Amino acid sequence: MNMDDADMNTALMVDGNAVAGKLMDVFGRDMTMAVARCAACAREAAMGALMAFIRAPGIVLRCPTCEAAIARIVETPTALYIEARGATFLRLPRE
Amino acid sequence: MAGLISRGFLGRRRPAEVENRLPPGQYLVTDWPVLSAGPTPHTPLDKWSFTMDGLVGKPVTWSWDQFQKLPTQTYTVDISCVTKWTKLDMKWLGVTVDTLLEAVEVDPAGKYVTAYSDGGYTTNVPLDEMTKGQAFVAYQFGDKPLEPVHGGPARLVVPHLYFWKSAKWIRGLRFMEENEPGFWEQLGYNIHGDPWKEERYSGD
Amino acid sequence: MAQPVLEWQAGTVTAIRPETRQTKSFTLALPKWMAHRAGMHYDVRLTAPDGYQTERSYSIASAPERVGLIELTVERIADGEVSPYLHDVVVTGDQIEVRGPIGGYFVWEVRLGGPLLLIGGGSGVVPLMAMLRHRAAEHATIPARLLYSSRTQDDVIYRDELDAMAAGDKGFEALFTFTRQAPPGWTGYQRRIDGEMLHEVIKPFGEQARVYVCGPTLLVESVANALAQMGLPIERIRTERFGPTGV
Repeated sequence: MNMDDADMNTALMVDGNAVAGKLMDVFGRDMTMAVARCAACAREAAMGALMAFIRAPGIVLRCPTCEAAIARIVETPTALYIEARGATFLRLPRE
Repeated sequence: MAGLISRGFLGRRRPAEVENRLPPGQYLVTDWPVLSAGPTPHTPLDKWSFTMDGLVGKPVTWSWDQFQKLPTQTYTVDISCVTKWTKLDMKWLGVTVDTLLEAVEVDPAGKYVTAYSDGGYTTNVPLDEMTKGQAFVAYQFGDKPLEPVHGGPARLVVPHLYFWKSAKWIRGLRFMEENEPGFWEQLGYNIHGDPWKEERYSGD
Repeated sequence: MAQPVLEWQAGTVTAIRPETRQTKSFTLALPKWMAHRAGMHYDVRLTAPDGYQTERSYSIASAPERVGLIELTVERIADGEVSPYLHDVVVTGDQIEVRGPIGGYFVWEVRLGGPLLLIGGGSGVVPLMAMLRHRAAEHATIPARLLYSSRTQDDVIYRDELDAMAAGDKGFEALFTFTRQAPPGWTGYQRRIDGEMLHEVIKPFGEQARVYVCGPTLLVESVANALAQMGLPIERIRTERFGPTGV
């Protein structure tokens, strides 16, 4: 991320580690080690290393290289939504 | 989602003196929380433009300088975010959607509007909820230029709906035949979003 | 590794220790404790009588060698929701709902080897401290360095323990930098972490270093960019961003 653009929005950004608990709710396991390939730029990054915007109405996980949205998560009182069209794949290590 | 009640934890409060101004389930804030779905875009003003397109006779585009010359209005409104904060008496300056509509002929079929922004964000509002002063494109807040972190140079403001409908970093309005769910509406948020009816999620 | 405990459990506060003006460490006995790896965190959830809930994540400060309990070091954020409650209301004997341990990306354990370079700002030092406490508990000889940025010396968490650790272990060194005011007579670093400082600190370890960076987002971004510019292999760097507290 270009630090010349640093502002409160950047300061508020966290990374996939911060949403590890939510990802566990969705996937039933620790996903921070899962590697996502960005559908926009083809670079790979561990989910723990994705840019995470967590103060929105939902969580948006973005590619650390090109900032494209890789996944979005929304929690309502009755449901959990996840959308990951921004990932070509998620690669999980076998345990 | 029951939990162990945390001894002495009271959660957020609704001050009695503004109780009737807070929609259901909202709490009062006096600062202005920054919420964003992505990094702040930084479109330079000489590259910025605002477009009205879709189901219109002829699309129209304004440059920043041209947009600045449009007649403006000031608004003092209460804003409610679906994440439950409400901020009262926010003072804005902007161009009403009514003014913008004078520049285009919208097809009769174009009953819905998709607002689109830098960074890929979209949201949708019925056209008849954007006219008659219900919506404007704001570029000043509190008598100062709208800061990028809060949506500057310009954002949509639709005060009668939850604030996710007030698209930051707006670049245009597209007139549509269908009420097409935008960025958050696609993912469980209410297609309409009236805070007084607590229309937060789809199915509310 | 074993699956984390996915359900919420009620931890009992058995000790509260002030660390600095703004931070306290809470020891929680967990009925369903499981060994974590240093760097992981627990989610904490509070529920009000009307059902309102809010959650925050806190890094585990304690080493996994301390069985049956976890220690969370929490900075009190003035306009926060959870930290003021923890600091101002919670007493020993209270129960707090937690879930974890979570986060296998940002972990270090002795078997991963080193040399180990830990870079932290403000409360970012907490998961790094868990790594150092784990290293000490295992009596590891892996060379380790901590570069820790704080506003003033009063803001340094775990100062006495870090000094003692360094004094008793030739393989560990703690380097402090102060960004607002250094202690009188201080001859060490007195500025925000920058490329030049990183260059000096990493020099004895070279490209083999395993680097962990944790703290406010702006600090982590700045350090990570500097390390990338220095040509450090990206696979050897792990980061955890805490958001907007300033250092």
